[in-house]
Amino acid sequence: MGAFSAIKKEIAVWRRGALPGLVVLVGVIIARLTGSLQFLELVTFDKFLRLRPPEPLDERIVIVGITEADIQRTRTYPISDRDIAALLQRLQTYQPAAIGLDIVRDIPVEPGHATLASLFRTTQNVIGVEVAFPDRSGYTVAPPPALPSEQVGFADSVLDADGYQRRSLLGAHNPQQEYRFSFTLQVAERYLAKQGIELENGIRDVEAMRFGSTELTRVQPNSGGYVRADSGGNQILLNVRSGATPFRVLSLTQIQTGQVDPAWLRGRIVLIGVMSFSAKDLASSGAIAGINPGQVYGVEMQAHAISQILSAMLDQRPLLRVWHEGWEYGWIVAWGLLGISLGRFLQSPWKILLGLGVAVASLMGIGYGLILLGWWVPIVPALLGLVLNGIGLTAALFYRHEQELRLRLEERQFVIEQTFNAIHSGPLQTLVSTLRKAQTEKNLSPVLPDLQRLSQELRTIYASVQREAIADEAHLQMHSAIDLALQAPLHDLLYTVYCNTLERDLPHLQALKVKIVQFDPLNTRHLRLEHKRGLCRFLEEALCNVGKYAVGATKLTVICTQEDQQQVIRVSDNGMGEPLEPTLPSTRGLGTQLAKNLAKQLGGTFRRYPNQPKGTVCELTWSATRSWFWQR
Amino acid sequence: MSQIPQPQKQTFLVVDDHALVLDGTLSILKQAYPEVDILTAQTAEEALKQTEQTDPDLVILDLVMPDTIGETAQANSGLQLLKTLMELHPKLNLVVQSAHTRTLIWLKSTIDNHMGGFTVVDKSQPVKDLLTMVDWALRERTYTPKEIRNGLQLKPAWMQVLQFAFQESLQDTAIAKRMNVSERTVQYYWSKIRDVLEVYPDEDKNLRIQTEVRAREAGLLD
Repeated sequence: MGAFSAIKKEIAVWRRGALPGLVVLVGVIIARLTGSLQFLELVTFDKFLRLRPPEPLDERIVIVGITEADIQRTRTYPISDRDIAALLQRLQTYQPAAIGLDIVRDIPVEPGHATLASLFRTTQNVIGVEVAFPDRSGYTVAPPPALPSEQVGFADSVLDADGYQRRSLLGAHNPQQEYRFSFTLQVAERYLAKQGIELENGIRDVEAMRFGSTELTRVQPNSGGYVRADSGGNQILLNVRSGATPFRVLSLTQIQTGQVDPAWLRGRIVLIGVMSFSAKDLASSGAIAGINPGQVYGVEMQAHAISQILSAMLDQRPLLRVWHEGWEYGWIVAWGLLGISLGRFLQSPWKILLGLGVAVASLMGIGYGLILLGWWVPIVPALLGLVLNGIGLTAALFYRHEQELRLRLEERQFVIEQTFNAIHSGPLQTLVSTLRKAQTEKNLSPVLPDLQRLSQELRTIYASVQREAIADEAHLQMHSAIDLALQAPLHDLLYTVYCNTLERDLPHLQALKVKIVQFDPLNTRHLRLEHKRGLCRFLEEALCNVGKYAVGATKLTVICTQEDQQQVIRVSDNGMGEPLEPTLPSTRGLGTQLAKNLAKQLGGTFRRYPNQPKGTVCELTWSATRSWFWQR
Repeated sequence: MSQIPQPQKQTFLVVDDHALVLDGTLSILKQAYPEVDILTAQTAEEALKQTEQTDPDLVILDLVMPDTIGETAQANSGLQLLKTLMELHPKLNLVVQSAHTRTLIWLKSTIDNHMGGFTVVDKSQPVKDLLTMVDWALRERTYTPKEIRNGLQLKPAWMQVLQFAFQESLQDTAIAKRMNVSERTVQYYWSKIRDVLEVYPDEDKNLRIQTEVRAREAGLLD
């Protein structure tokens, strides 16, 4: 078979088998487009991020946490301005690059407010926070009044529907339509400015922010697994630092008592925040594995957000990126097609399962590898397409296709048998009668052994064609042409068979003087085409037998009619009467066997009995009404 | 040739797709039957419609013709028309005029069951033969060529008629009663039997006796 026809055949198979698979794929894509898969995609995304190997401590950021113990010791909450001023002054002695004060301080907390205010006015490396976007009750929190506005960033965050923070907000317009930068960005910018790196507009995307060569790609409504997400402002995906201790955390007491290595703080970013559950400054993330899974202090989350920008710029640590949507869907379709191919090429269920296992593992492995490289690709839709197609519909369909093939093979077998039956009722009969004639002659003909061998050879063809299943489409076409001819009313068909058979050159047929025939319409509502074919064959066989064995017959009666509730095909003659024990058992045996099989299929009976006063009757009867027995 | 009495105006329908043949047949018929209304049809569709509407006394048709106007002539559609006519109008008198009468063998069982006159004439036969066949068909007789008669082939019912008539010497009325059919049916059986036995009308002979002689010769009566 040529490569071209092989491909054509393969396409034909796919057109039959793969269509439902493609429907499944379309279904998966629709599910993704409508957002039904968003939750699963986000959860998978978190899981992959959590599974990353731990990263080393980020030395650039130190967190000074005001813990429950500190609050208990100072016996005031909120922590007084005096304490904060003292902390700031103390920290400044270590010459940090920037101090981020992640504690709201819009209202004076005496004592010490005046000291703190003057401190805010004089230092340039302290960044304070505000809450720029109204909360549920409509309130915002103003920055410390004494702090210049370029030293203020908002602490607001964007949350997903499950309350998790996966994105980092860098800047946005507040309700007064003033553009504000986030605390994260302000601190990072201050640090990078010290290194001589300025914040600029993006090159690929002008609205994105850029530090040197590192462009902070904005989140779009449909980025990655998101579907119509609120991408207001300038957001980037949050690539938290993995590992149990991503940052060095010092306590207020440690600073106050000087139990620190100055190297930890010099030139670093110091973030000050409350690390107490009572203060409720918490953030949730599915990507951070910790003692309290999913929950971290707000200041820690700020540290992650700042750290990812600095590491991307200075360590070439990847930021999270997503593919263009077209590539995402191409990827999903590719995995779906792989699933369909599994069903197509591995037809044993166990092989499909094994193949599917390998494919799923590969998908997961590739997805995980890409996360390590900073690419967030669609895993859940690809997995769905792969698995559903691999084990579900497609496998079932290809299985059914196999079944159909088997059925077609059976039909082919039927055609082969038909062909042999034709040989049996035609040339073989001629041969047999020739043989018989030759045997009765006094002088045995020299060709007799050859004739016998020929007869034997013809018979062996039967056995061999039965074994052969030839994959040849032409057979099927021939089959359907016969079917078409068989659509004619049965009695017309039988009459045609009768006429054709009577023209055969059989010794006793030509001697017939009178033929009494009746062909009435029969009930064929429940007959299959092969039954019709079988009935035609039966009549032919019966008439041939008259022609061969009804010595001296002058009258032939052929009746095809309905008698009471029975349909009958009856062939009788008034010949000498053949011996009921056939002289040539093998041929007569086969004809009788065919008739018996047919009778069985129709739920009827086949009889051969002596005619009165002489001759033989050959009769097939079956019920006109009963159909359940052999109905398909 | 004797013309049968015409109590009311008769109607013939001539079906042929060749205008030339149609005209020829038409003029022959008009000469022989000046009183008769002669309709024509050139397609199977038209022929069926005309038969339905006018219920003619006789239909003369070709076996090869197109189904509808514009189509090419097919042997099959002529046969199909004949079959349909016989099935819809079992008592219609039919004359088949064709160059391919051999194909009628496919309709043998339907022809055997047809109760009206049924005669066949080859297009190459002389005009006289055509007129004879028209006459016989009008008398509800049957004439089929030898090649489609399949030798001496009868239906079981016809055998019964022969036995009742010649072994029990029954009249048609009695035969009809015994067989539980109408007398008209017995008549149609006779016409079929005569066709098989090749007993055709002869002014000088008694048909019934002639039939008996032939039946005995053929070995139909033991």
